[in-house]
Amino acid sequence: MNDASALELAGEALKLASAAGAQTAEASVSIARRFHAEARDNAISKLEASTGKALFMRVFRGGRKATLTTSDFSPDGMSEAIRRAVAQADQVAVDEFAGLPDVVATDAVDLALFDSRIADRDGAEKLDDAIKLERLIREADVRVVNSSGSNYTDAIAVTAIANTSGFASVYSWTRAGRSTGPVALDGGVKRIAYYGTAGRYLGDLEAPASVATTAVRRAVDLFGARKPPTMRVPVIFERDVAATFLDDIFAAASAGNVAVDNSWLTERTGTRVGSELVTIVDDGRLVGKLGSSPFDGEGVPTQRTPVFERGTLRTFLYDTYYGRKLGAASTGNSTGGGIGPNNFYLEPGAMSLADLIAATPLGVLVLDTIGFATEHASGTYSRGARGFFIENGELAYPIDEFTVAGQYVDMLANIDSVANDLQFDATVVSPSFRVSELMVSGN
Amino acid sequence: MFDESLLSRLLDRALQHGGEYADVFCERRRTVSYRLQDGRVHDATYGVTLGVGVRVVVGESAGFASSDDLSTEALMEAADSAALIARTAPSGKTAAVGLRSESVPKLYDCDSVTAIEGARYAALLERADRTARRYDPRIVAVNAQVVDEMQEVWIANSDGRFVRDCRPLVTLGVQVVATDKKERSSGYVGDGGRTSIAYFDRQTPEMLAEDAARIAIVNLSAIPAPAGEMEMIVGAGGGGVLLHEAVGHGLESDFNRRGTSLYSGRVGERVASELVTIYDDGNLHEERGSLSVDDEGVPGQHKVLVENGVLRGYMQDTLNARLMGAQSTGSGRRQSFRFAPQPRMCNTYMPNGDSTVEEIVASTRRGIFAKSFAGGQVEIAKGDFVFMVGEGYLVENGKITAPLRNATIVGNGPDAMRKVVAVGNDSRLARGHYTCGKGGQSVPVGVGMPTVKISSITVGGTQHE
Repeated sequence: MNDASALELAGEALKLASAAGAQTAEASVSIARRFHAEARDNAISKLEASTGKALFMRVFRGGRKATLTTSDFSPDGMSEAIRRAVAQADQVAVDEFAGLPDVVATDAVDLALFDSRIADRDGAEKLDDAIKLERLIREADVRVVNSSGSNYTDAIAVTAIANTSGFASVYSWTRAGRSTGPVALDGGVKRIAYYGTAGRYLGDLEAPASVATTAVRRAVDLFGARKPPTMRVPVIFERDVAATFLDDIFAAASAGNVAVDNSWLTERTGTRVGSELVTIVDDGRLVGKLGSSPFDGEGVPTQRTPVFERGTLRTFLYDTYYGRKLGAASTGNSTGGGIGPNNFYLEPGAMSLADLIAATPLGVLVLDTIGFATEHASGTYSRGARGFFIENGELAYPIDEFTVAGQYVDMLANIDSVANDLQFDATVVSPSFRVSELMVSGN
Repeated sequence: MFDESLLSRLLDRALQHGGEYADVFCERRRTVSYRLQDGRVHDATYGVTLGVGVRVVVGESAGFASSDDLSTEALMEAADSAALIARTAPSGKTAAVGLRSESVPKLYDCDSVTAIEGARYAALLERADRTARRYDPRIVAVNAQVVDEMQEVWIANSDGRFVRDCRPLVTLGVQVVATDKKERSSGYVGDGGRTSIAYFDRQTPEMLAEDAARIAIVNLSAIPAPAGEMEMIVGAGGGGVLLHEAVGHGLESDFNRRGTSLYSGRVGERVASELVTIYDDGNLHEERGSLSVDDEGVPGQHKVLVENGVLRGYMQDTLNARLMGAQSTGSGRRQSFRFAPQPRMCNTYMPNGDSTVEEIVASTRRGIFAKSFAGGQVEIAKGDFVFMVGEGYLVENGKITAPLRNATIVGNGPDAMRKVVAVGNDSRLARGHYTCGKGGQSVPVGVGMPTVKISSITVGGTQHE
């Protein structure tokens, strides 16, 4: 795997597209070597190692667009797939906004996305990483009786993008992660918890001992959990749960949803939506972070985009197409086929999570939620949750089988404290925060 | 495309360091899709997934590698990578593999999608768009997508089995957004199955679009959902998501072999009200979750999971069945050649009981009627689940009163199943559009259900009295 071969494949795809009748085209090739080891009971239970290639293309003809994805790189297979995609464009309506981007990245920015330590890491050491984590969760607490596996994963990859206007660029990246799922026995009830860490650099990962401790605590601290009463109280979202809330904010801020009237943020730009504490940023240029890249899926340079500033919605996030459609410039958020986050995060505050809990006389701390947003039109948030009941600034008792619910707009407006525990261990991240009042539904 | 001699060489190579079992999964999938937005066809996509996955099993451990490069050299390298597991857990060497080709029962036709005129897909989308917009002036947006896919598989294993299958899959989805001065809401309906797009001559885009538009308009006048415990009626068809999450996942054999499921070691025990019987069936004609053979080459089966409240069995794939001394139930599935198989559901449903819907509604004092779910999730160790209600109504004193906005239901699987107090006589499968995610892999599934009443569940709304 190397940069030249990815670029070469992209160039070849562009030639085939032109030959098939495309007037303009864009090709993106990613080649990734992926590794996954899962340990259970002091032995490796799964070992996966593969190199995968994928071509993603957009072809344009007469103002019509079609897209192609393929893993078939044989000469016949590639030209056949490209020919079919170009032919399919005939069924698509002429769209004045479809086409290659006006601006592409020209700066040679080094965002330090590649860790040679990951690329050079010895296979046996990777297996030991998983086995060690598995051993640590079982040593951490005698009540851990089982596990759904402890994992080490990594990827070493190149991403190349080229278009018929002459853009051609490539970058290499790495990613590694470790995660675990201890199961603790609480009388007759099995309590499972998950915790993990990820980064572009091996050195950015939380140490196995810290991952094990957090995962095990999340399982055993919930022992004896019961349903809380149904009530309106302040709710603290711990940072991993806060990040899933930010996922929903991203979806609503994505111009793709706004353009089809499927966002509760539609028509709110320039208006105050959140509290003073709500500054949410999309930044593709943070050095060494998981959501960083020099250019997006169509070669547009990434940038720092404040989406909310002190509660005011400043902009949606655009690719070239939806930018043209809604009269804005791309914010460098194209995934090639749609709109995706770079590093999308809520700006941290100054307080620790412990202080935030201590400053909450009565409330709920949410450590984990299940469920997801299925539609973004109405803007209602509702999730199954588990965590702690807070009394007099202390974690009084664990609670589960309840929901927290509210409207996203009210939740953003009612964020009254933001903690300082932001970590860039995913592309969408958040510090813990507190919403001054939310519906908790239990008994 | 993949011949027996190549596959048996790959299996020999995979077992070079020993191992009890090896398999090779070869796939070619072609997907055609069209998307409509703003009243016009907005995008067309052609996709090809082509490659080979090799797996080696040693005791409780599995090694896996995939390759999209079909050169013999690259495939042998994948077999070598999968074989590394046998070095971490050495075992005896196996004899050379001789393959015999086996025919498979045909649950569906294999006419190629690539022969169909693009205009036919575009027409389906345009018909959906027209119907939805005519339904009500408050409809402001229609998004629709049609996907037509043909997956061909060649599966060989070290027991000597070699099978081929081809699996069509069509889906048409329509999302409709409505707004009035105050509110914004949406409705989604999807349908399809393992058949050709001729399916939509019967289940027409007009039917789907009208239903999606109806839900969007109903939801415009919906009131905020209540919060707290109450009775729940689960609607026929789409209500089957409840079985999938609350029970189905917990009966997948990997969780049970590892003892991480709350249902581990409980076959023969009472786990639900005696009114509850649950099947998982891979054999239903042209259904979205059906498989002539699973992704390990084992024919699809009709499985009794729960019978009159008693747990009867798990859904098994080859690896876990071997370790549990059981037989595969044809439940080994994978998203693509890039993934190792896992035990998964096919079409999960509950057969008829003897109550009528009218009786069930009339017997409900205060509750929520969840006609369909927009999604759900479960945590398999303790069995806690959530469902997002797609279309729901408040029931007061035996009457359906008002539509409810975005309710979420939270509960515990065995607890909810114990509280099943009535099962309707109107069992049916939901329209085929569900996709199940597990361990980072998505596969198409089917769900079905009669109208069912659960005596108490927690509704996660915002209104509290």
